[in-house]
Amino acid sequence: MRVAYYSPLPPSRSGVADYSTLLLPALRERVEVVVAEPGKRRPAADVSLYHVGNDPEAHGWIVDELRARPGVVVLHEYVLHHLVAGITIGRGDPRGYLDAMERELGVPGRLLGLGVLDNLLPLLWETQPERFPLSGAVLDSAHGLIVHSQFVAERARAAGYDGRLWRIPHPAWPTPAVEPPADAAGDPLIGCFGFLNMNKRVPQLLEAFASLRRSRPGARLLLAGASGERFDLDRRLERLGLGDGVERLDYLPEGRMWSLMASCDVLVNLRYPTMGETSGSVMRALSLGKALVVSDVGWFAELPDDAVLKVPVDEFEVPTLEAALVLAADRKAELGAAARAYVEREHALARVADAYVAALEVAAGGDLVDDAVLRRIAEAAVEVGHSDPVSLARAAADAGIVG
Amino acid sequence: MRIAVCAPQVPFVHGGAEVMTDDLVAALRVRGHDAELVTIPFKWYPGTRVLDQAFLWRLVDLTESDGRAIDRVIATKFPAYCVRHPNKIVWVLHQFRQAYDYDRTELGQFSESPEDRATRRAVERLDATALAEARRVFATSQNVADRLRRFNGADAEVLPHPPQTLPYRTAEPEGFVLSVNRLDRAKRIDLLIEAARSEPSLRIVIAGEGPDRERLEQLAGGLDGQIEFAGRVDDDALADLYARCLAVYYAPVDEDFGMVPYEAFLSAKPVVTTIDAGGPLEVVRDRETGVVVAPEPASVAEACTYLSAHVDEAKAFGRAGQAVARRVNWDACVDALLR
Repeated sequence: MRVAYYSPLPPSRSGVADYSTLLLPALRERVEVVVAEPGKRRPAADVSLYHVGNDPEAHGWIVDELRARPGVVVLHEYVLHHLVAGITIGRGDPRGYLDAMERELGVPGRLLGLGVLDNLLPLLWETQPERFPLSGAVLDSAHGLIVHSQFVAERARAAGYDGRLWRIPHPAWPTPAVEPPADAAGDPLIGCFGFLNMNKRVPQLLEAFASLRRSRPGARLLLAGASGERFDLDRRLERLGLGDGVERLDYLPEGRMWSLMASCDVLVNLRYPTMGETSGSVMRALSLGKALVVSDVGWFAELPDDAVLKVPVDEFEVPTLEAALVLAADRKAELGAAARAYVEREHALARVADAYVAALEVAAGGDLVDDAVLRRIAEAAVEVGHSDPVSLARAAADAGIVG
Repeated sequence: MRIAVCAPQVPFVHGGAEVMTDDLVAALRVRGHDAELVTIPFKWYPGTRVLDQAFLWRLVDLTESDGRAIDRVIATKFPAYCVRHPNKIVWVLHQFRQAYDYDRTELGQFSESPEDRATRRAVERLDATALAEARRVFATSQNVADRLRRFNGADAEVLPHPPQTLPYRTAEPEGFVLSVNRLDRAKRIDLLIEAARSEPSLRIVIAGEGPDRERLEQLAGGLDGQIEFAGRVDDDALADLYARCLAVYYAPVDEDFGMVPYEAFLSAKPVVTTIDAGGPLEVVRDRETGVVVAPEPASVAEACTYLSAHVDEAKAFGRAGQAVARRVNWDACVDALLR
């Protein structure tokens, strides 16, 4: 089987590029893969695989290709409003944006879109994209759908997607041999890695950490990652009096990031609202066998309770988070062992690649098989005067005989 | 209890699986149950036809018969275990191996075409559905249980079944090595014939019929004094062959279970097998109940001549095997299936 593979790849710094860098070699061990490139001719293949995320620069061309030749979509996040805005308004196609809004919300959606276009409403992809995911614009062209979480699977179904759907876990990175750096220490040392903004609940983390420092003055917080444009982190640190308790690092090379993560006692990865995304940082933390604290939302909520502490996003978020940080530090060995076991069990790269091949094989030939079987069933039914071959087809689908 | 034993039937073929299901029905009846064998002809080719056959089983209604409830269904093979029943027990003799371990080997049936690949996946999906519906899943050997775990992520309890009922007895070995098998390629009888070619003192009797007979007879050409094709033999004649042989050769490729070693053991005969034989290795232990060698003619020949030169040891292996085989009986099987 030959697979045409559409994805951003390095030097793109997107999480999906990292994902494909990890997955591609394992996939190539199992099937023939041809990587498509933007602006080049579409490769001939039995099935096409499109990795779709929310960044129009990284994924716009992939959606164009998908629309030209439907195939299997890997939906890396459910909320695609930014992507859709980028490939419609961003390309001088406001009508395309209105169509996407109308597809999702009917006429009120179109009117909202008009409000955005006329600057009467704020930009929805910046202010409340989770309310208007616009993923239907991609789902309509999906011949099969791969998701990483039940959260996204349920939303895709609710949005009307009724095709084949596979839930395939995010693969885990092989853990590199890392030496914890000498310059990172704390009692406990807490780490938060990745892009830092309101969405990652950094204000809540800082408040919880400030409170924790009162009982554990030796605690230190490592904040590693670029911060959002409108997020004044330094001022917040100053206001909370966290100057000496927080170490701030910008973009980190891969090796340094692994090493710093390994040195932490507890890693934190909070999120709200969720766009239905997974997190490469969380996968790395689990692979390292680290005690991990996440928000109890979306994909994060589906992580096993024995391996991860989950903090509900509610009015008690800050005190709960503080308690979770203490608990995670105290039980880091137990949580870490459960995390590592979970990753080995569910997220092993070979297992993920096998699941991809299974999905792609069904996507490539499943319709041929279904047609052949259903045709014979229908013929036999009609020959004996059965007036409702559809009911037989349904029985075949229920049994898993057809997809 | 009214019990339907469900098994596919390949018309004009009668092998170990058919013997086992017949014996299961008989064992249930002996224990006072109202048992019946339910079969549907099975033709698994070409291409997607294998799925039609599964669908036939899906349409069968075994909840009751003639107005009386059927209490339990025991299904043994693909696609029979696709049958629906609220009280379904699956005792897996083997899955549709062309979709699993035989795939992409000379024993497989699916090509690299998208349709064939997807058909193979449909069999996987069917197995997942059918096995998940079962109240309990048993496997006839650890080998079969391991495959269920490896390919389907399904857990199964290992429950070996007794071999066919024969008038088992033992007698002084007459020096020949016996092969009892359906004559097809996967049973690897050619390995024994090649062994005979390399070792002129080796005498062989091959019992059984099958599609590979012509090829095997050609392979045995020129070895007239050494090899006898006995064809299909009746129960008495088979028990007699077992009783008189020196040892029994049984070396299929990764066999699911294999009744032949049990039959050999009940006749107090050792078994010669190979390290890749699968299920038989669960009871044939090297230098304990037989000889286990590499799947090469020279190694098989060496094993046979060793037993010929050490008859007392061969007898001891056979007796040890007999003790193993006697532990597997229908009482234990029926208890497990109905508990």
